[in-house]
Amino acid sequence: MDYPEIDRYASIDSPIHNFDPRAKIITFMVMIFSFVFLDSITKALVGLGIASLIYIIAKLPKAFVIHRLKVVFLFLFPLLIIMPLTVDGQAIAQYHSITITLEGFQYSSLVIIRALSAVTLALIMLGTTRFDITIKALYMLKVPGTLIQMLMFTYRYIFVIMDEFQRMWKAMESKGFKLKANRYGLSVLGNMIGMLIIKSYDRAQRVYQSMISKGYTGNPGTIVNFKLQAKDYAIALPMILIALFMHTYHLVL
Amino acid sequence: MKEAICVKGLTYSYPDGTPALGDINITINEGEKIVIIGPNGAGKTTFFLHLNGTLKSQDNRILIKGKDINGMSNSERIRKVGIVFQDPDDQLFMPTIFDDVAFGPINMGMPEEEVKERVKKALSKVGLEGFEERVPHNLSYGQKKRAALAAVLSMEPEILILDEPTANLDPKSRADFIKVINNLNKEGITTMIAMHDVNALPDLADRVYVLNKGIIAEGSPMEIFSDWDLLKDNNLEAPDIFKFFKVLGCFGYNCEDLPLSLDEAVEVLARTIEKENGHVHLHIHEHTHAEVKDVMHSYNHHTTWHE
Ligand SMILES: Nc1ncnc2c1ncn2[C@@H]1O[C@H](COP(=O)(O)OP(=O)(O)O)[C@@H](O)[C@H]1O
Ligand SMILES: [Mg+2]
Repeated sequence: MDYPEIDRYASIDSPIHNFDPRAKIITFMVMIFSFVFLDSITKALVGLGIASLIYIIAKLPKAFVIHRLKVVFLFLFPLLIIMPLTVDGQAIAQYHSITITLEGFQYSSLVIIRALSAVTLALIMLGTTRFDITIKALYMLKVPGTLIQMLMFTYRYIFVIMDEFQRMWKAMESKGFKLKANRYGLSVLGNMIGMLIIKSYDRAQRVYQSMISKGYTGNPGTIVNFKLQAKDYAIALPMILIALFMHTYHLVL
Repeated sequence: MKEAICVKGLTYSYPDGTPALGDINITINEGEKIVIIGPNGAGKTTFFLHLNGTLKSQDNRILIKGKDINGMSNSERIRKVGIVFQDPDDQLFMPTIFDDVAFGPINMGMPEEEVKERVKKALSKVGLEGFEERVPHNLSYGQKKRAALAAVLSMEPEILILDEPTANLDPKSRADFIKVINNLNKEGITTMIAMHDVNALPDLADRVYVLNKGIIAEGSPMEIFSDWDLLKDNNLEAPDIFKFFKVLGCFGYNCEDLPLSLDEAVEVLARTIEKENGHVHLHIHEHTHAEVKDVMHSYNHHTTWHE
């Protein structure tokens, strides 16, 4: 079946792919933070440009990011309508008592541009590393063990649960069920989701038992070896500098 | 001979009140090859969960190599008894196969080099060399089953317990899996297996226990399968070959020990033919049909559902 694998293109060869996972996480986090605090549309657009450039360097297919950015855009699109109507400022159009303000338009554009560049960066970060490696990098960066294990199990069992849903769905369809947005359809769907939750609960218990059988004591037992090399610094340094420069250039120039 | 497992009067009910086990007494010697059969819900899985201390029994009723399981340290416990559960998706809970197979050894506190060594060895034992970096959801069911076994073998347990290892496997994977288990047993590991697949049972058992809440019977596969009433009362079956030779008996075929597997059947048949100077006589007399019907009936309690 078609899994929503975020790390489907993790085996491509590019400078970003070969970047040490820990350094990658830190560098990209710095950039993301830097870009979401940019305070003008011009700067935000430059940020988006930089993010796109890194995307090209990472050699990820276009569809990978566009598909996901579309979702983000749809999610944020309402801002573009609501904010010009609600934010006070210079009117660019008026209809009876409804005014559309320039500031509202600018704010909402700014929010959307910042979000798009942040998401693009996050997608590059996650898309160029196998997810299990991302988790291990987080582990090495001393992210709390509980969080690490939650990520691990989510990553592992999302596929199992999807398979389970698929099986139940096929069983339903083979008995002639077609989903319609009526009361019956929704109640059947609700039942299926309920079943899925119960199954997941049972599975969680069995997984826990098998972990105990292997001596689990609460630690995410795993071995990781990453080595920072010169090339990692060579990538991390300029990227972090750019991130800082975006906020401090007026002090320098 | 030394005792590997000794269970004395084990009784267990789940917290919700479901009685699962009643007064179980079992003694298994080192290196034995044991199969446990019993209908669904008989308590096989529950019993196994007790054997490595995942479910806690009351006061030292479970002794592993003479020592109370509840008194063992974490790493001693998993070094003694390894359990392979039925659903491999329950057991491959880490992001990669390497992480899964390394999980036990890491919890034993082994140094990194040794862990890697163990992972490599365990994967090669189940024929999954080079699968370290693979993620479980991209593996076939048979491969997942073998990976789950490797994840237990990496702890190098002295006693290996398998819960329905052959269920849902295709014939080739099933045969491979049985071979792996048998090799492990030959290396001296005590194996205990729960299974429904009676046709594969003779390959995996020197001794059979019938479990249904309590231990109903114990004996060689031959003794168990010859006891029609026992099988019937516990919804169990006999191997097809065994039944077939019972039927042959009605047609006048005469041999003392009935075969339980195809290999044995060939042997038995050859021996009987030699003894009878080169051929066997089969015939039909007036009682034959009644006898055949009788045999069929005694082993066909499974069809009652259709009636
Ligand atoms: N977690 C649980 N809570 C309550 N009852 C359970 C639980 N697990 C199993 N049981 C019950 O215990 C009995 C034995 O189950 P089990 O050990 O799984 O049998 P088997 O493995 O032989 O099929 C069954 O009646 C089952 O319904
Ligand atoms: Mg079971």
